[in-house]
Amino acid sequence: MNTYLRIVVLWPQIQFGPMTFVTTQLHDDQQFEVVYTGYFDLLVQIAVHKFRVPDSEAETLAHDVLISYLRKGNDVISLRSWLIGAICHASRHYWRLNGRTIGAEPDMALDRADPASMRILDSLPDQLAAREAMDCLNPRCREILHMRYFEGCTVIEIAERLGVKPKYAQKLISRCLRRAETLYGEKGKSQ
Amino acid sequence: MSDDEKLVPFDRGKREPDPARVAEFTATARKLQQEREGAAGVAARLLGATPYAEWPRLAEREELRNSGALDELSREVASRVDRVPLESLAIAELATKIADSLAADAYPVVVLAQIRAQAWKDRGLAFCYLARHSDALAAFDRAEQFLQPFGTLAHDRAIVRLARATTLQEANRYDESIALLAECKEIFEDHGDTRRQILCGIAEGTLLHRMSRFGEAREAYKAQLPTAEKVNDLIALASIHNNIGHSSTELGDWQTAEAHLNKAIAILTELGQPLRVAGSELARGRMFVRKGDIERGIEHLHSVREQYLTHNLVEEAGLCGLDIVEAHLARGASIEAEAFAWQIVREFTAARLNARAITALGYLSEAIGARKASAETVQNVRHFIRSLRKKPDAEFVATA
Repeated sequence: MNTYLRIVVLWPQIQFGPMTFVTTQLHDDQQFEVVYTGYFDLLVQIAVHKFRVPDSEAETLAHDVLISYLRKGNDVISLRSWLIGAICHASRHYWRLNGRTIGAEPDMALDRADPASMRILDSLPDQLAAREAMDCLNPRCREILHMRYFEGCTVIEIAERLGVKPKYAQKLISRCLRRAETLYGEKGKSQ
Repeated sequence: MSDDEKLVPFDRGKREPDPARVAEFTATARKLQQEREGAAGVAARLLGATPYAEWPRLAEREELRNSGALDELSREVASRVDRVPLESLAIAELATKIADSLAADAYPVVVLAQIRAQAWKDRGLAFCYLARHSDALAAFDRAEQFLQPFGTLAHDRAIVRLARATTLQEANRYDESIALLAECKEIFEDHGDTRRQILCGIAEGTLLHRMSRFGEAREAYKAQLPTAEKVNDLIALASIHNNIGHSSTELGDWQTAEAHLNKAIAILTELGQPLRVAGSELARGRMFVRKGDIERGIEHLHSVREQYLTHNLVEEAGLCGLDIVEAHLARGASIEAEAFAWQIVREFTAARLNARAITALGYLSEAIGARKASAETVQNVRHFIRSLRKKPDAEFVATA
């Protein structure tokens, strides 16, 4: 190999370094617990709602992701990004092992990765609370959430009815859900 | 019932983790942290105090039989792999021996898989630097076997595959390498691992460079610049500028080459990495020679050589000296070329470097004296001396 090439080739190799490190950001048991409890639910929600992984399996995957993070501390720039990436790959791997293809539903991609909304969605089946929450909203948001959660429209159908693009429709739904949560919470406190 | 209790909280669907699992997580975190703190400097100290031939016996030392010490060994492998690959391999073999013999219940199974995979990945890398490509690929296979059952370890798997992609490049299996790099890049992106994403981009550029597709290589490097700037990864930035300089030199785009090499030099100087600065300066000196500015190139190469000699890097200084010999030959100054070649022979002899390298240099000096040497002869000798790092017993084959 000529010398120019040698130098060019070696540069990326030199920087591989050790593959993993123990976390340095966490210092005591309380902090370890905060990380675990803070992210566990998010990871389970992603596995369950985005990838339709069964609940108990999703919890195991979330646990494994969090445990494997412990040897990644110095490697990870954004903890949240790393954990979400890991749970997504873990969920796909789960279905690869269990022989199911993911992503058959056309609008699934539009519903993905908004765990905050997922959590709200979980509580909405309680019709009474949901209707109360709806009452706090402006008419447009009310209409959007009604279509989504009472009529059961898909994001694409809502987009068509509103005359907007599906991506924007998804954004509107998320925004209205957050608004409902905030206003409903405020209403509860004032009563 | 109070008003608050009447409210249906929106997060009532929130899942509470199993306390037993939280406890396992906390205990593991604590254990790994304690081991890391306890292992600081232990591996380096033990390796320094033990003769090389007895390193395998260190596997019995209790203070090395934990995750923290294995991380330390991993760092030792990485720091020696370019300079002394045989030592690097010996340490990697020690690490795999320890990792494989850890008790099955020493750590949660996921963590144990990570520890073992890391040790085998390092072993593969050491083999790669020794040009033992099939051994390296077998080591990477082993590393992946540990990770295979765990879908949560996609990031670890991508790290092993990045090392595999580099080895495949070295083995001239370019198509396989490029496919792996694309796969790894995507996984690193998914995990927000920008640093390794950039490394994949650099490796892609390197691959294209090796395939003599210099224009595409340069574009691949340039594509990484915004990301490296955004995350302020100075080492990566220096690496990218340096590599753009190399590709531009091959393309005969001297202005771009000089601009980027200057940037690499500035960053590396700021980072306080004199040897890497010398590497980029060496590239700049060669660029001057190729451009036809031979006098300036020779002057520049002399100063780089001094840098290497200051750091007692006789072999690097000798290789840089061969660039000077080549430059003298290019301007028809055979007497200077011959004198300089003999000077390198004397330096190699005094430093007791590999006798085969001295033989090759002696052959070059005589060929120059007999007016039979060309730039190709110099390149052949340079290539041979470099190859001795991987194959110390290689025989020199003289060419015209």
